[in-house]
Amino acid sequence: MKVRFTVNGHAATVEGDAEMRLLDALRDVLHLTGTKEGCGEGECGACTVLLDGLPVNSCLVLAAQAEGREVLTIEGLADGPRLHPIQQAFVDAGAVQCGFCTPGFVMSTYALLRDHPAPSEEEILTALEGNLCRCTGYVRIVDAVKRAAVQLAETRLGEARARARETA
Amino acid sequence: MLRYVRVDTEAELLDALRKDGAQLLSGGTDLLVKMRSGLVRPKSLVDPAAVAELRGIETAGGALRIGTATPLSEILASKEVRERAPLLVDVLRVLGCVQIRNRGTLGGNLANASPAADSAIPLLLYEANLELAGGDGARNVPVGGFFLGPGRTVLQHGEYIRAVRIPASRQNWIPFFHKVGRRRALTIAIASIGGLAAVSQGRATEVRLAAGSVAPIPLRLKSAEEWLAGRALDRETIQHAGALAAGEVSPIDDVRATAAYRRAVTGDLVVRFLEGAAAA
Ligand SMILES: Cc1cc2nc3c(=O)[nH]c(=O)nc-3n(C[C@H](O)[C@H](O)[C@H](O)COP(=O)(O)OP(=O)(O)OC[C@H]3O[C@@H](n4cnc5c(N)ncnc54)[C@H](O)[C@@H]3O)c2cc1C
Ligand code: FES
Ligand code: FES
Repeated sequence: MKVRFTVNGHAATVEGDAEMRLLDALRDVLHLTGTKEGCGEGECGACTVLLDGLPVNSCLVLAAQAEGREVLTIEGLADGPRLHPIQQAFVDAGAVQCGFCTPGFVMSTYALLRDHPAPSEEEILTALEGNLCRCTGYVRIVDAVKRAAVQLAETRLGEARARARETA
Repeated sequence: MLRYVRVDTEAELLDALRKDGAQLLSGGTDLLVKMRSGLVRPKSLVDPAAVAELRGIETAGGALRIGTATPLSEILASKEVRERAPLLVDVLRVLGCVQIRNRGTLGGNLANASPAADSAIPLLLYEANLELAGGDGARNVPVGGFFLGPGRTVLQHGEYIRAVRIPASRQNWIPFFHKVGRRRALTIAIASIGGLAAVSQGRATEVRLAAGSVAPIPLRLKSAEEWLAGRALDRETIQHAGALAAGEVSPIDDVRATAAYRRAVTGDLVVRFLEGAAAA
């Protein structure tokens, strides 16, 4: 079976049997190993990717179900060697220890901050409910999300100022 | 070897589901977990995501029709659902987590027939009907008549739930939903209680109660409801209703809680709901 979809803006074709999960397609066929497999049954969120912009557990999606759709993984966030502001915020807040859960948390955060640039504490907790971390405790992770929100807002402001200068 | 079949029309869906070993795959949040642990071994997975009749939310007056392959997050975001069935929104908001709600569907939650299926509670309370198709032809079944036991429903081979219909109901319902044993969304409830109450001058005009995880199937608590109808919601009436509710469930002991605890929680939550409704 052949499945075609878009990964991080690039067209991809994977071949495999019907059991192949989106997680397997990403990790084993496309070698995008940033997406992790923790539990394999929807409980931990380590395998979180965005499917047509929405966070899903890629361990609970068949590759075939992604046919024709857009997938965004952790590899699609960084700009070359430069970490995405959300990744940087996780590092700065000390929200990364073993790092196994981090890609999933970052993807959930990415979707949250796209829809709610200044989320409340409750919105943050709801958005991250499906992601488990065994190491850091959630205080640091919530702190990381707040830092990322501020950083992204500053970046947007800077861009707007630059545009204003150009047109002036 | 397993086959994956994406169907585009309802005619194709009907055909594909008649095949031996065919099983519907919607969000996959129950089925793929079960397949992985070897509990079920379908020969083909039929994905209805592209079938228009099973997708989307429609309104007709105060009534709602929700396609059973509509992702839960889409139902949650719907203004029409929030207006017409606010308790459904309250419940779906605490079903699983974002990732699960972006994939999971009402069709899967109902057909899976877990005693803990959260969506069953508001649908029982709103007295929703299920539009079934396939099998020997189309038929409508009230949610209250759909479940037969844990993992068992009235669905026949080749039959599926096309849509959930929620009839227009009172505007002035006081809603209630409480799930016990919810640690970061991902544990199955120990007990869940939902209710709708219409109260006028301290008197219960109508009360509906439903419970999950405390019997083989999610169910309405009829004897407590009947006791409450038309009564003033005083302390004694409320206590008695709680006792009736606790007597009406048939919970089991398991690793998460004892039957006695589940029974007590049922009574307590019904009392809590009615006290709130009396004070509202
Ligand atoms: C981490 C996690 C947390 C969860 N939390 C909760 C929770 O809090 N509360 C809760 O109630 N559930 C919970 N669930 C269970 C599950 O997510 C829900 O039951 C979900 O709604 C299932 O929908 P689905 O589309 O993913 O079903 P699928 O897995 O696609 O299907 C489930 C079953 O239903 C059948 N089916 C699907 N659609 C139809 C249809 N239209 N007609 C007939 N049969 C159909 C399938 O053949 C299969 O047998 C959780 C699951 C996980 C993995
Ligand atoms: S690996 Fe997918 S949720 Fe844990
Ligand atoms: S940093 Fe180790 S699991 Fe989260």
